[in-house]
Order: sequence, then structure tokens, then C-alpha cells
Amino acid sequence: MPPAPPVNFRLNGQPIEVSAEPARILLDLLRDDLHLTGSKRGCDLGTCGCCTVLVDGRPTLSCLTLAHLVDGREVTTIEGVSPPRGLTPLQRAFVDVGATQCGFCTPGFVVTATALLRDRPHPSRDEIVRAISGNLCRCTGYVKIVEAIERAAAEGG
Amino acid sequence: MHLDPFELHRPSSVDEAVDLARRFEGRCDYLAGGTDLLPNYKMHLNLRPHLIALQDVPELSGRSLDRLGAMERLADLEGDRPLLAAYPPLGDAVAEIATPLVRASGTVGGNLLVETRCFFFNQSHFWRESLGYCLKADGDRCHVVPQKQKCYATFSGDLAPALMAVDAEVELAHSDGRRHLPLGALYDAAGDGIRRLTMRPGELLTGVRLPAATRGQRGTYLKLRVRPSFDFPELGVAASGVLDGERVVRLRVAIGGAEMRPVRHDALTDALVGERLSDDRLRAFAEAVQQATRPVHNTFLLPDYRRRMVSVFVRRAVERLRPGTAG
Repeated sequence: MPPAPPVNFRLNGQPIEVSAEPARILLDLLRDDLHLTGSKRGCDLGTCGCCTVLVDGRPTLSCLTLAHLVDGREVTTIEGVSPPRGLTPLQRAFVDVGATQCGFCTPGFVVTATALLRDRPHPSRDEIVRAISGNLCRCTGYVKIVEAIERAAAEGG
Repeated sequence: MHLDPFELHRPSSVDEAVDLARRFEGRCDYLAGGTDLLPNYKMHLNLRPHLIALQDVPELSGRSLDRLGAMERLADLEGDRPLLAAYPPLGDAVAEIATPLVRASGTVGGNLLVETRCFFFNQSHFWRESLGYCLKADGDRCHVVPQKQKCYATFSGDLAPALMAVDAEVELAHSDGRRHLPLGALYDAAGDGIRRLTMRPGELLTGVRLPAATRGQRGTYLKLRVRPSFDFPELGVAASGVLDGERVVRLRVAIGGAEMRPVRHDALTDALVGERLSDDRLRAFAEAVQQATRPVHNTFLLPDYRRRMVSVFVRRAVERLRPGTAG
């Protein structure tokens, strides 16, 4: 069997080359091959947003993205959103407000909200609610999640 | 869920894409944003051994007030205020599609060609196998209307009715040549639901033409669904037109999310042209559209309720065309 073809992209700021079958999904590549398990596999069908990563800065469902189609692009996972030490102000706000319950959905929310605050540093509550409407929290902790994003925005993202 | 193996092709031009499609006729799918196709592939619905990814084809991108490339992302349309102001039903529809995350990848062409949906189709392979499959994938009978050899899966795109209401056309490319046709003619009125499009095998939707004639006309799109996010339409009603005071100069009403294809009710709207749009006349018109719309029991809400909502939504949508109303 011929080796799987290579994929070259930047992952959390570093160039990488990995082998992947054409049918390899980006989420599986990240979690199973590269051991970046921050991006979660929830529904695996694009419904829950737990697997959200940034592709060229755009929030993207990694469970519905073929690994080969990020060739030449910049992928940022929750591991890349987080600073080497400590937390971003948004992550700190999630902790301080108590916006995590079981925590499974948190990486997806943080990635989505990071892109929101980058593009709209002072979103209204309605804009926040709309922006996170593709991320599901099965603990239904939305009130505190919105509050955390509002707090991070108030504190300058 | 892992995908079964397939060969991935990445053409860089429309000609290359349609040549690949001819080479692999009947054994390939085009891949746009992947938000509809890949979930279906994960559930083993009508797999093909070749995928032709369209993201590297420049001709499929770009948008103006005259044209939308088929690969334009829905999220990018959402931020284009001049475009949405020019074609109000489009703006209403785009903001209502799925979720921001789906719209970040989902495309114009993908939404126009979104696979029809049904309780008995959009299920895992295990679930479908236990029921003996269905006509739309792997089986030989319809569980919704068992007495017919026809697939009644519901057309669930939001863009189609909105764009039909503003007289949009679609551009199609085939290895034999190119053509364009009114968007409504893309959906096969004589089809059996399995064949639901008038596209030829291997034909590629390259873009949407937006007519200057309908630019700036009032219009709206109203969507019935259970949750205000993610859900496919249980009913979608688009209206666009011009009223001179109370008199109808031009009116288009298109319905999606209710039957196997989106339908524009031109015979009913044409009868209103030149007439005064009194409340009674509007109510009679809305009820006539309802009479002509026949949903079946294959989505979350009961068909009787969806049907009764047709006249309610049509009335609300057309009322918004009246001068002085919002929208």
C-alpha cells in the first residue's frame, strides 16, 4: 500500500508536515495523530461546535474539514489560543465567572469567542449570543458563558 | 465517525473539475463547504469513491450585486451590507441558515443543492439497516408514503426560495458546455425525488446571477423552525415585489422546507398584479398558497401544522412588502 500523501500546514504557529489518507478528518488528525486533544469530538456532525478550531483565523468545524484541505493554511487549536503560561483574559474570565461546568464544550466556546472578540472587541449581548449559537453546552451553562465573554470584552479581550 | 476511503481531487479550474466529473461519472461528488456532504458520508449515505474538492477553483468565488460565485461562503454574504440591502430576502435567509459555524464553511452552491431531508434518511447506517433502508439510500421503499415509488424527502435549503423570489438564475458548467437557467428550473418538477434536479450528471453549479430588475425591491424571508439556531426549515416563505400604494405591481412568493422542491407560485401572484391588495384578497391568496402546498410527515413538526403555517407565514411575508412596514 502506498504511503498516505503529505499535508503541509502551520499548526499553532509552527510549520508541520504529516501524512494523511484523503478521507482523514482534521479533528481525527489533531486528536489521534498529533495528540492535541483540546478540540473535542462531540456530535462529529457539525452540530455542537466542540471541535471548533481557527483555519486562517476563521472559526471552523474541524469534524467536517478534510485534513488535506487545510494544506497551506494556518490552523489554530485551543492549545494555540492559550499562551505558553497562564490564560488569556477570555479564559481567565471563564474561570472567574464559573463558565465551565463539565468543561467538555469549553474549548469550542473559547475558540469561537476568541475570534468574535478579535473581530468585534465590544460586542453587544445579542451579538455574543448569535456568535456562540453554533456551540452547544449540554450542561446548559449559557448565562455564565455569555457573562464571561462580556467580562473579557469589558476588560479589553 | 470515520469516513470510508475515497480519492480526493483538487482541480484548479471549472474545466478541470467538469472533466474529472465526466471521467468519474456516477462515481463522484463535488465537495464545496462539506457541511452537508460530509455528515451524510459519515452516515454512509450514498457514498462515492471520488470527491472533487472545489475550493481551489477561483472562478467559483467572488460576489457582486450581479453575481454570486457558487463557492462564496454564507458567512461572507452575511457581512455584505450592500448586497443584502439590494436583495432583502437573501439577507433574511442567509442569517437564518444553520449556525455561524456552519455558515463559516457552507457555501451558496451547497445550500442551493443541499440534499433533501427525511426522518428515515438522515440517520446512522445502523438505524437505517435495522429498518431495511429506504428508497433514497440503499433500499427500495419509502417509509413515509409506502404506496408510492417516490422519495418525499423535504427540500431544506433557505437560499433557494429567497433567490427565486428575486428572479435569480443559476450558471451551470458541463464538459460539453455551459448554460444558465432560472433557479426554479433547477429543481425537477417531474422528478421522483431521487432524481430531484434538472442538472445533467457531472454538471457543476458555478454561480448565481442576480437580476438588476429586482434590485432594491422590498422583500423578506420567514422561516419556521423549532430552535432559532441550527434547525433546517420546517417551512420557509420568501416574498419580494413592488406595491404602488395598495396596488400590486410585481409579486413573487416562493415556498421551501415544505415539499420535495422549492416552489414559486407565479399563477397565484400573477392574478394579483394590478389589483388592490386588500386584507381579504391577501388572506385568500395566502390560503390558496396553503392549498397548493402539501407537506408530508417526514420532519420534526407535524405536516398539518406546517401546512396551516403556510397561510400565516405567506400573509406575514407579503404584508412586509406594504410601504411603511418594516422590512
